[in-house]
Amino acid sequence: MTSLSATLAEPQSFSLVEKLLFLLLVAASGVLFWRRFGPILRKILHSRKDPDFHLSPIGRRVWDFFWEVICQAKVIQQRPLPGLAHAFVFWGFCAFALVTLNHAAVGLGIGFLDPASWIGRTYFYLADAFAIACAVGIFGLFVRRFLVRPRWLGSKVSWESGFIAGLIFVLMVTYLGAFFTTDAAPTARILWWIHTLTLLIFLPLIPHTKHLHLVLSPATIFLSRDGFSQIPPLVGDEDFGLVTGKDLTQLVSLQAYSCVECGRCSEHCPATNTGKLLNPKEIILGVRAYLNEFGPASDEQLLGKHNSQEAVFQCTTCGACEFQCPVGIEHLPIMIGLRRGAVNTGAWENDYGGKLFNQLERGSNALGISALERDKFIQKTELPIFDGTQEYCLWLGCMGGYDPKGREIIASFARVMNYLGTSYGVLKKEKCTGDPVRRLGNDLLFQQLAEENLKALAQNKVKKIVSICPHCVRTIQEDWKAYGTPPEIEHHSEFMARFAGRLPKQKSDEKVVFHDPCYLGRYRNVYDEPRELVQLSATLVEAPRHRERSFCCGAGGGLAFLGEETGERVSHVRAQELVATGASTVGTACPFCNTMFRDALAASEKPPQLLDIAQLVARGLPPVAPTSNGVSKA
Amino acid sequence: MKIIVAIKQVPERDAHIRIDSSGKWIEESDVQYAMNESDAYALEEALQLREKHSGEVIVVSAGPERVGTTIREALAKGADRAIHIDCNDLNQRDALGVARLIADAIRPDNADLILTGLQSDDLGYGQTGVILAELLGVPHATLILHVEKTDAGLKVKRELEAGFFQEIELPLPAALTIQSGGNKLRYATLMGIKKAKTKEMRVVTAAALDGAPVAVLDGIAHPKKQRSTQIIPGDAKQAAATLVEKLKFEARIL
Ligand code: SF4
Ligand code: SF4
Repeated sequence: MTSLSATLAEPQSFSLVEKLLFLLLVAASGVLFWRRFGPILRKILHSRKDPDFHLSPIGRRVWDFFWEVICQAKVIQQRPLPGLAHAFVFWGFCAFALVTLNHAAVGLGIGFLDPASWIGRTYFYLADAFAIACAVGIFGLFVRRFLVRPRWLGSKVSWESGFIAGLIFVLMVTYLGAFFTTDAAPTARILWWIHTLTLLIFLPLIPHTKHLHLVLSPATIFLSRDGFSQIPPLVGDEDFGLVTGKDLTQLVSLQAYSCVECGRCSEHCPATNTGKLLNPKEIILGVRAYLNEFGPASDEQLLGKHNSQEAVFQCTTCGACEFQCPVGIEHLPIMIGLRRGAVNTGAWENDYGGKLFNQLERGSNALGISALERDKFIQKTELPIFDGTQEYCLWLGCMGGYDPKGREIIASFARVMNYLGTSYGVLKKEKCTGDPVRRLGNDLLFQQLAEENLKALAQNKVKKIVSICPHCVRTIQEDWKAYGTPPEIEHHSEFMARFAGRLPKQKSDEKVVFHDPCYLGRYRNVYDEPRELVQLSATLVEAPRHRERSFCCGAGGGLAFLGEETGERVSHVRAQELVATGASTVGTACPFCNTMFRDALAASEKPPQLLDIAQLVARGLPPVAPTSNGVSKA
Repeated sequence: MKIIVAIKQVPERDAHIRIDSSGKWIEESDVQYAMNESDAYALEEALQLREKHSGEVIVVSAGPERVGTTIREALAKGADRAIHIDCNDLNQRDALGVARLIADAIRPDNADLILTGLQSDDLGYGQTGVILAELLGVPHATLILHVEKTDAGLKVKRELEAGFFQEIELPLPAALTIQSGGNKLRYATLMGIKKAKTKEMRVVTAAALDGAPVAVLDGIAHPKKQRSTQIIPGDAKQAAATLVEKLKFEARIL
């Protein structure tokens, strides 16, 4: 036996029979691969073109590809250990591409990488290292899947995954084994054949199993939409969202076939975690099953056999799924697309939803309260009216204008702005931004609300908006773009953080746990600003799930207006987690989170106090002299 | 069953209202408009009846061009076609005048059932539907929450005061004024709006119809705010005496 310093053994002089047999097997393997992969590719290509797709900016795509595919960053970030194991398997595969090509060429007597040359030697050693890492990696993944069995992988044991893991292991071992033998030894020939057969079995299995992602996911990541939860425009008079197979776009179909069933999306989904019907992974697999059964030209309803309307309307649009998915699947355009299909055609019948829509068709706010109440609040709080001369328009939103807690947040934030000497004013009339109806898929109503608001803002010559509600911020900045050019907007946490140096600072031991609102964190990438503000007056503690992995409060996606949930309440699960940190105060930065927690915290034994970051900041401001009518003003 | 629903476009709830220079109406450019609430329920009732018994739902609305948006909303929710009575002085006409316009416009259609909201949210006469029935010579019932078609005609449920209800039967053709809240309203959909574009909307001008009003509107006014502060002069004793006097004879609360 030779030592590892030896070269890779390559069997020499294959007989004609061997060569023919080899070619035959290659052909068979290729045909089997294509018989399954061809139809999948055709289904993707025959899907409707994405109306808003454009390749530019290419730089972003190249970067995503480099970071998420080549570096495997997302896979590792979200689940470090298995992620690393996966990365090694992937890198092993890449390093192996050349080896495999050469391996096949050897079979035909035309090997091009001479193991004895210095290039060959270096490369094969390099591949060696990867082969070991890959073998260890795949073994680790095997142990995890079959012995540890995290529940996200589903209760069904996937034997095909085990088999494939076995194949990969054999590939690596047969490669490594060839270093311990010589070219002429029969072992070399046996190893070569085992290696070859394993490869040829592996190839057709790819499109038959979730290993299809090996082929598709690099493309999926490269082609994914720019931006988070990017909802495509509806085009023409026949487009109502995702109604039938005809509405599935190439991106949706490509994504549906790319899912590796890893369950990261379900692991973080607030609906799945509280016993709802919705499971984001199953939604994606449902679309795939639809494509398999009916194809992209079918008139069959998408919400029917393979996906249920009930599940789709349980989504809070928290975006955890889309954020987590390692293969670039964008759940939100699909989820909201399916809702659009149901709402825009009137198929969705829901008492609460119908009431919300009717309220916004004829009224001004999602809470269904008389607009006069907003006027009264503005008067009582002495909020200045925007007249075009001020720098900022303070957007009240439905919660800030009508909800008691939301009004407290506005009043506190107004104090902060007064203290900073900011010039601002509120609009005399405001309508709901349309966030809940946008997420529920009512395009008619959303367009109406967006256009009316855009008109009012233009008439009032508003240039900059600041808002206490991440939902308003997102909707105004991103979603309104479909109907005009919205003014610049920022969240009050960003605004206050810019002036942090001028805000009072008194460190204390008070422990504040900050809850990242989905629409501020994942949607807007704002994590540090609110934390900075919390730390002006308190000690920050973190919940187990925070920042990018924050767990939803349950209000998003219009769900705040849809009545009682089935199963456990999302807000209660999150509230318990926040209470368990031992913090005496829960800090929020969204009026919706605030209402959800107000009720949920009340259920706990010693409820911590609940304050918006504006309130946390405002309480440190010097007391102000009461004005003539008794309302305090800084 | 051929059903006609008379709908009105009214200023949106909570609209800030200013009186225009003529003093006879409000400044229209200030306000946004919506479908009168009880008319929306009348439309819903009509659509549900059609879904159960088939037939046709025709909406009719009088007013200036802007009424078109409310008509389109009705078509989007499912009405089959519409008649727009183009009329720029609707608010100056009394209930008889408006009912005459509508009666004239819909007479050729010979509907089985005429529905309308029980009153408008702006002028609130509450008579148009009733007069309409009289002009067309059909029986009517008011304050209807629920309509059921029977072999003989209709069975309807009326809402009385203090939580009482009354059920009555009447033959067809008939006219009903509908109370809000009897049904759940459907929402307007994008598909509905797109379909509405292809539906027939016949415009008739008010001048071509008989719609002469009898009562003439003189003017409108904001409710007077009844708040006045008086400072009573004099020393405490004297002021107290004046206060008692005023409370007795001016405010009449003593
Ligand atoms: S957006 Fe949130 S609630 Fe909706 S499916 Fe994804 S993880 Fe679940
Ligand atoms: S959708 Fe993405 S995150 Fe969810 S199971 Fe599939 S690959 Fe994993």
